[in-house]
Amino acid sequence: MPFEEVNSKVVRARVSPASPVLARRGAMLGYSGQVTFRPVHGQGRGIGGIAGAALSGESNPMMATEGQGEVLYGYKGLHVTVLELDGAAPLVCEADRLLVHDAGLQTSVQFLGSGGIKQAIGGAMTGQGLFTTNVHGRGSVALLSHGGAFPLQLNGTQVGVDPQAYVGHVGQLTVDLAARVGFRDVVGRGSGEAFQLRIGGYGTVYVQASEQKF
Amino acid sequence: MTYPPGNPYGGQPGPGGNPYGQPQPGYGQPPPGYGQPPPGYGQPPPGYGQPPPGHGQPQPGYGGPPQPAAGPTGTTLNPQTLPDDDNVNPYVFCVSLSGDWFMSKGAMLAYYGNVRFEAVTEYSSVQGWVAARFSSPVYVQDWVVATGHGKVLIGDRGFDLNAYDLDDGNLTIKANNLCAFSPQLELKQSIVPGFVTLIGTGKFIASSNGPVIFVEPPFRADPEALLGWADCPSPSVHHDAQWMTQNIRAMVSGALGRASGEERQYDFTGTGTILLQSSEVAREDPAVLRLVESQTQLLTPSQAGSLGQRLVARAQQQH
Repeated sequence: MPFEEVNSKVVRARVSPASPVLARRGAMLGYSGQVTFRPVHGQGRGIGGIAGAALSGESNPMMATEGQGEVLYGYKGLHVTVLELDGAAPLVCEADRLLVHDAGLQTSVQFLGSGGIKQAIGGAMTGQGLFTTNVHGRGSVALLSHGGAFPLQLNGTQVGVDPQAYVGHVGQLTVDLAARVGFRDVVGRGSGEAFQLRIGGYGTVYVQASEQKF
Repeated sequence: MTYPPGNPYGGQPGPGGNPYGQPQPGYGQPPPGYGQPPPGYGQPPPGYGQPPPGHGQPQPGYGGPPQPAAGPTGTTLNPQTLPDDDNVNPYVFCVSLSGDWFMSKGAMLAYYGNVRFEAVTEYSSVQGWVAARFSSPVYVQDWVVATGHGKVLIGDRGFDLNAYDLDDGNLTIKANNLCAFSPQLELKQSIVPGFVTLIGTGKFIASSNGPVIFVEPPFRADPEALLGWADCPSPSVHHDAQWMTQNIRAMVSGALGRASGEERQYDFTGTGTILLQSSEVAREDPAVLRLVESQTQLLTPSQAGSLGQRLVARAQQQH
């Protein structure tokens, strides 16, 4: 069941016994109908399952919303982007950007270090984290962003993204960290754009209109 | 549960060429109605927060009519081109002042003309009517009276501003989000902490994080997302029994840290309208301290002592 965007910061989910949803804890704004909330532990069967999630810090407290009714979701006034996943490729993002998604979707934690030590160090340095969350399956996801997210379509081209403005991506994409650290950065007189994510391939990259992390 | 049509995306071009013209039909009728985001207002820039191409419905044409002088991208504004009691852009409202208005401290951004701002003090006010109109001692320190002639621009944390017209009605709103109101309205403290009630006929301006969402009871709202309500009885507090038991179980197993507040909602019944916003980052409301302090009158001296000890312990824990 797709989510309806009530406005740029709020989505409405229709919940039925056949289609429960998983949402970030504390993101419920209000509801009508016979709806109950149940705390669950965010991540599914990733590398190491729950233990891996706890280790990685990618274990966002989530809750299941069940029953019959309509529920409004929003979080701290952040902007919301609704994506429809067709199941062809997973959505890659950070766990705390997931506002709400269909309970039928699976989430797993991916260790960036598997891409080599270079990528792992890159993750640590950009604040992107060593782990990201993959969302698999067919269904709807609502992502949080600061200032609103916009899609960049890639057709074999490459795009450079500020790591702080990166929200997530869908498709056959490779993410690489480009560091141009010179003497000026070391002494604190750099442009502030020393690190960039170089994203190439076929798919969609979501970028937020702000460099604020949360 | 219905939302007013035209809310929130895809407004039609406004009549008269002003995209920010607040239509404001008499508040109190069921939607479509009061305070509804005006056409052409609050629309996102193209591609902003929208589903990517091919992932959703086509987006209606952005914008509306070409921007007149008072648009956010328009020419420099002066006292003549500033709108009268209307939005300059979604985040700034211009009050055409001729007489008195109540304004929240810090809401004023700029003003033209001969305007004085005087503190609303309970007894030593310039005029007796202030005390009669502003019957909320807890909030008195946070408000000023703007007096004179001119144009006053107000804003609040970059939030969306909306004007509401009350017609012999009552509306309760979060005290933090009320920016200004005309002195024809009477302000009273709500039973629900942190909220104030406006009664009478007149105009007021309130901020919201994102456009306001209107819903009808029966409805349960998260206290942080609740902006206010009109015409319905004051809410009661609903505790989600299933959440509570699950939480206790989780705590016993030692797996869960803290409660999220999801177990507690405000339950609305009866008829009326509920105003919601996207939950915001909580701002410190100075009145809450005064409100709680006044309630401690109910405690006996020994109770007050043990409360004090607990509060000291809590304050030390957080440092």
